[in-house]
Amino acid sequence: MLSLKNISKYHKAGSLKTTILQNINLDVDAGEFVSIMGPSGSGKSTLLNIIGMLDEPSEGYQYFLNEPVHQLKDKQRSALYKANIGFVFQAYHLIDELTVYENIETPLLYHDIKSGERKALVADMLDRFQIVGKKDLFPSQLSGGQQQLVGIARALIVSPKLLLADEPTGNLNSKQGDEIMELFSKLNKEEGMTIIQVTHSEKNAAYGTRIINLLDGTIESSKNI
Amino acid sequence: MIKNYLKIAWLNLLKNKAYSLLNIVGLSVGMGVALLIGLWVFNEYSYDRFLPDTDQLYQVKVNFTSQHTGKHTQDALALPLAEVLKKEYPEIKYVAQSDWNGTHGLIAGNKKLYMDGSTVGPDFLKMFQFPLIKGNAGTVLKDTYSIVLTQSTAKALFGNTDPIGKVVKIDNQTNMKVTGVLKDLPANSSFSFKYLMPFSFTETQEGWGNTSTNWGNNSFQLFAMLQPEVSYEKLAPKIKWIIRDKGAVMRPSKPEVIMQPMKDWHLYSDYKNGVPVGGFIDYVRMFSIIGILVLLIACINFMNLSTARSEKRAREVGVRKAMGSQRSYLIFQFLTESVLIAFFSFVLAVVLVQLALPYFNLLTGDLITIPYNNPVFWLVMISYILLTGLLAGSRPAFYLSSFNPVKVLKGTAQAGKTATLPRKILVVAQFSCSVALIISTVIVYQQIQHAKDRPAGYDTNRLVMADMSDDLNGNYDALKNELMQTGLIENIARASSPVTDIYSHTSVTNWPQKTAGDESINIATIRISDNYFKTVGMPILQGRDFSSSWANDTSNVLVNEAAVARMGLKNQINQEISWNTAVGKVRIIGVVKNALMASPFTPVEPAIFSHANRGNQALYRLTANANTHTAMQKIGKIFDKYNPAYPFVYRFADDAYNQKFNLEVLVGKLAGIFATLAIFISCLGLFGLAAYVAEQRTKEIGIRKVLGASITQVWALLSTDFILLVLISCLIASPMAYYFLHTWLQKYDYRISIGPGVFILSAIAAVIITLFTVSFQAIRAALANPVKSLKNE
Repeated sequence: MLSLKNISKYHKAGSLKTTILQNINLDVDAGEFVSIMGPSGSGKSTLLNIIGMLDEPSEGYQYFLNEPVHQLKDKQRSALYKANIGFVFQAYHLIDELTVYENIETPLLYHDIKSGERKALVADMLDRFQIVGKKDLFPSQLSGGQQQLVGIARALIVSPKLLLADEPTGNLNSKQGDEIMELFSKLNKEEGMTIIQVTHSEKNAAYGTRIINLLDGTIESSKNI
Repeated sequence: MIKNYLKIAWLNLLKNKAYSLLNIVGLSVGMGVALLIGLWVFNEYSYDRFLPDTDQLYQVKVNFTSQHTGKHTQDALALPLAEVLKKEYPEIKYVAQSDWNGTHGLIAGNKKLYMDGSTVGPDFLKMFQFPLIKGNAGTVLKDTYSIVLTQSTAKALFGNTDPIGKVVKIDNQTNMKVTGVLKDLPANSSFSFKYLMPFSFTETQEGWGNTSTNWGNNSFQLFAMLQPEVSYEKLAPKIKWIIRDKGAVMRPSKPEVIMQPMKDWHLYSDYKNGVPVGGFIDYVRMFSIIGILVLLIACINFMNLSTARSEKRAREVGVRKAMGSQRSYLIFQFLTESVLIAFFSFVLAVVLVQLALPYFNLLTGDLITIPYNNPVFWLVMISYILLTGLLAGSRPAFYLSSFNPVKVLKGTAQAGKTATLPRKILVVAQFSCSVALIISTVIVYQQIQHAKDRPAGYDTNRLVMADMSDDLNGNYDALKNELMQTGLIENIARASSPVTDIYSHTSVTNWPQKTAGDESINIATIRISDNYFKTVGMPILQGRDFSSSWANDTSNVLVNEAAVARMGLKNQINQEISWNTAVGKVRIIGVVKNALMASPFTPVEPAIFSHANRGNQALYRLTANANTHTAMQKIGKIFDKYNPAYPFVYRFADDAYNQKFNLEVLVGKLAGIFATLAIFISCLGLFGLAAYVAEQRTKEIGIRKVLGASITQVWALLSTDFILLVLISCLIASPMAYYFLHTWLQKYDYRISIGPGVFILSAIAAVIITLFTVSFQAIRAALANPVKSLKNE
């Protein structure tokens, strides 16, 4: 599904060059559930952002669904990204001023989906995550777990081929975290959703099919479970 | 303590340079506009008040009531009234007659001047105590053949030599001896004479023989000075019916004598139904309101930017409160800051006003300066700074100081967000004012254009007008022949008034269709030579022009369409009418198309044209291909030959015509300038607010971008809110502006009707300006990398 070849990322501040990622080579096939682990500052989130095309590598080649991402123009890249990738964040990043319903609906607005179809899709999603009763609440009225559920629903509503999650349980208690992980696992197994998550927790990483360990910007190990 | 506050305030200014600049520039433009308008208003109110005893000085006026035009007020009075007022009313200290500030030729040695001066009664300078540099106010105008010059006139005629006792020849006829020198009149004086001569001199001139006893010759001005301690209110009922009781000839017009205090001359010159209803004061009020509005807009900017930025200050407030600062200390601290900003803004405002004043004076024709040496001015300015600082700083001060320290320090308080609604209301208030100003400007210009588009009824192109002296009247035929021979002019005629003005009114007392109840008709009267209509391009609709032989047409007249309509004449040609300036009847030989000789904003009044063999205006039209400059030079030489005592002075009719719009054009220009500045200040504020909102919504924008929003969509998201506010402002501003302008337009008989177009266009303009202002920030926010904005947890 995606392939990274010799990907490096560094920041230059004056003469000081800070390397964040160095010579990353990674292939992820469709249907995989990859967990990226590593200590703080090892480059996990940057790697995830590069995979998600939110960030650009300083060097290297990147292919997504056989498209050479490094050669694409901004517009083509965002079209590719928009059509295929869903994002889930540690801090949920729901829009405070919008209700649960509107939050889930937002990506559809940017995919130019008609009103009737939007209603059906959001209703499906609310149903699937059993949050129909909460659709008119605002994020601040929900628990962290519920907010993350909304965040995932929002990510899935455009039916992405790849779901990226940056410490999705980081702000949750363990019970809520387990529920989210169960959900991910179910998505992966039952629907064949490709998932890449960044996590600190061994336990959460174990839900996946492969664990990649990052250290100081390089892949230290990659093992299938 | 205050030192600490000032220091903190200063550091805060430096810390947020862009924001401080935005604040100071906005506030200084606002303060500058208010200061400029304040100076102008003060100048308008200062008119005529520099004279001693202004409170006791009055101009006498009279209200006439007519069936056709209702009650109207005029300054032109008959002389017997002066004697009655002087002799029979002990409440009145002095009375002075005056003619109308007329233009005369002044010759001294080889110096020729042509300038305005008045003849006035002997007590004039005792009433209006314009300072004399030489001579005594009681005696300078005693001798009939004396003249008092202003300093600059004296200098122009005699250079630096002492003018007293020297001779000035008036109109190439009469020698007058200089008896006094007046200081030049200040610019804010309603009088504008350059020299004074005794009224008795006017009485020696031809035609005024029995004026001092004739109640029917309303041709002069009268001024009166009341005794100290006498109030006009008490005197008014006693003088009201003097003319009715003593002047039988005027009785049918129901004359009521009234007086207007000198301090009201300049600002309250419009009379309706016999009472002053306003005048220039309307514009003074209008611009005072505009000045206050612009200042308010600037203060609102300050409030909005300060509260919007409050998140940055919240921590400071929390720390200070935690350290034991009382709320009142904090309020005081923030107010110190705003006063400091107001002070810097004021300094900049003074610089701006100083730079703008020359242009402003050019526009208004005033001589306004900043009175740097006046301690009262500085006192007022200090209050101005304090007041502006407090006004602008009040809301931020109370808002910021209200923060709960625990919440603020924990970071749970959403400082700044709670103030959104009041901030929106303030933005709407700002833009309502700005949009109302835009609408007003457009409508004022539409009204001007509307009147300009009105057909004049004559052709002002290449038409030249010049005053005629006795010499020119005597040499008219020779002048005409010589001018025509040059091939530089198409035609020449003479008349009793320029084509762009009406100098005199008479009455038509009887006409064929007159019914028993009809009163006589007040009619504009122009005495013209033959060739007049051809020269000015006024079409004769029926009948014929005067013939070249004056004697054949002495009892023939032409009238305009309005006169025909007023008299209700059918088959006008050869009808005979009675006219109070002619013995026996006069015969109508032609009807002329209505022409705008008076105000372009009023209906054309009835006019009568009679044949004359002299005139005080020469009117001639240059040929189409003549070079104006060289033509006028050549024509000037011919005029000099036949008119040696006078300098060659002329006016182009199109200039004279355009002068009719001077007041309206001035109002339009000022409204336009202030509207632009108001918009500018509002936009500065909007710019700052947009930056703030973009900053506050950084996270949201990041999320939306991650969810697939394009740059256009983010831009639209950020701009929509502001557009909405501006649209609401347009909805508020439109009826407000409509109301004010509708009232303003009532002044004009000939006016536009306000259509929806101007409101729609103004709204579109406001939206475009807003988009332009907001887009910079919105696009910047939209382009930002979402990874960065979502990173900091």
